[in-house]
Amino acid sequence: MTKILKTTGNDKCTGCEMCVFEAQRQLKKVGLEDSLIRVFRGKDADTNAIKFDIEIDPRSNVLDIEKIASICPREVLGVVEQ
Amino acid sequence: MTDTSVKKVVIIDLENKTSETKSFTDLNPYFGGTGVGLKLLEVYHDKNPLIFSVGPLNGFFPFASKTSIVLDNNGAIEDIYIGGNLSTRIKFAGIDSILFHGKSSDEVVVELQNTDVLFHTKETDIQSLGLPGKRSQICVNKDKIQADEYFTTPDLYLEKALLDRNIVGLSITGTENYTVDNFEDYKKLYENIMEMSNDLRVIKEGYPSCSNCPMGCNRSKVGEIGGNVVINSLVACQFADKIYTDIGMVFSCLNTLGYNYTHEDIENLPKLIEETIKKISEL
Repeated sequence: MTKILKTTGNDKCTGCEMCVFEAQRQLKKVGLEDSLIRVFRGKDADTNAIKFDIEIDPRSNVLDIEKIASICPREVLGVVEQ
Repeated sequence: MTDTSVKKVVIIDLENKTSETKSFTDLNPYFGGTGVGLKLLEVYHDKNPLIFSVGPLNGFFPFASKTSIVLDNNGAIEDIYIGGNLSTRIKFAGIDSILFHGKSSDEVVVELQNTDVLFHTKETDIQSLGLPGKRSQICVNKDKIQADEYFTTPDLYLEKALLDRNIVGLSITGTENYTVDNFEDYKKLYENIMEMSNDLRVIKEGYPSCSNCPMGCNRSKVGEIGGNVVINSLVACQFADKIYTDIGMVFSCLNTLGYNYTHEDIENLPKLIEETIKKISEL
C-alpha cells in the first residue's frame, strides 16, 4: 500500500495556495513554477460562485504529504492509502 | 535568490504603448510597497503615475498578502490595498513595482508576463491571457474593479485611476522561482509565523483567500486604505499587525531573506515616508 495525497473536499478550498507553497518549500523553492500542486480558479456553472480545483502531480509522493495535508486550513487535502 | 540590492520597476507608457524595466538602487530605504510607491510618485510626479507595489515579504511569508496601490487623486495622495493573488504574482514576476503613466488612446487590456508587457484591445477575453494558476487578473466591470473575480478596494480610487487611463483589464503572470540562502532558517521562521495565526484580528472562515494566507476571512474582499506605514511597506495585511509591527520579527524576516536592513532602518521608515509625502505636497 502506498500513501498518496488526495483532495477530499474540493468544494471547501478557498484558494489560499498554502499547499502549493508548502510543496515548493519542501523542494527549497519559493514560487509557483514547476509546482507539484496547482490551484485553479473557476466558476461554478450553476451558481456562478468562485470555485477552486486542485491538481496534484503523482510525483508529490516523494514529499512529506502529511505535512502538506496538515497545512490546509480547510482540510481539503487528505492522505489516503492506494 | 532575490536581488536585495535593487528594486525592479516596470514602467508602462500607456500613451505610446511601450514599457521598460528599470532597476533602482536608491529605493531600498523605502523597503517596498507604499514606501517605494510614494518615492516613485515623487520621482514621476509630473507624469501622474499609478503605482502597484509589493514588499520584500510578499510571496515569502504568510499574511503578507496584499498589494499596495499609490496614486494622486486630484492633489490628494491615496494609498489603497488589494488582496487576492496579485501580490504573489507580481513578486513571482520578479517585479517590485509596476508604474503606469499617460493615457491610452483606446481602451486597453494590459498583460504582463513577468516583465514583458503586451497591450490588447478591449475585446480581448482576459481569461485567454496568462497562465492559469500562475496569474492574477483585474477587470473593470461596470465602473467597479474586481481582482481575481472577487477582491475589490475601498472607495472608487482605483476604478477612476484605471478608467482615466483607459485600462479596462490587467493580467499578470509570474513564473520565477526564488530560493533562500539559509532555507532551513527561512522554513523555521515561516512555521513560527504560522503558529501566530491566533494573533490575527480576523478568524478563519471559508471565503476566498488571499494567496499565502490561510484565513479565508470576510474582510479581505474589500481591501484596505491607509494605516501603519511599516505594514504598508512590507506589504502585510493590517489584520496581522501584531506580527508585522514587531520590529524584531520584521528584522528576522528581512534578514533571513538576505536584506541588510538594521533595526534603525525599520524604525526610521515612518519619518522617511513623512518627508516624502511632504516633498510631494510641495511639488
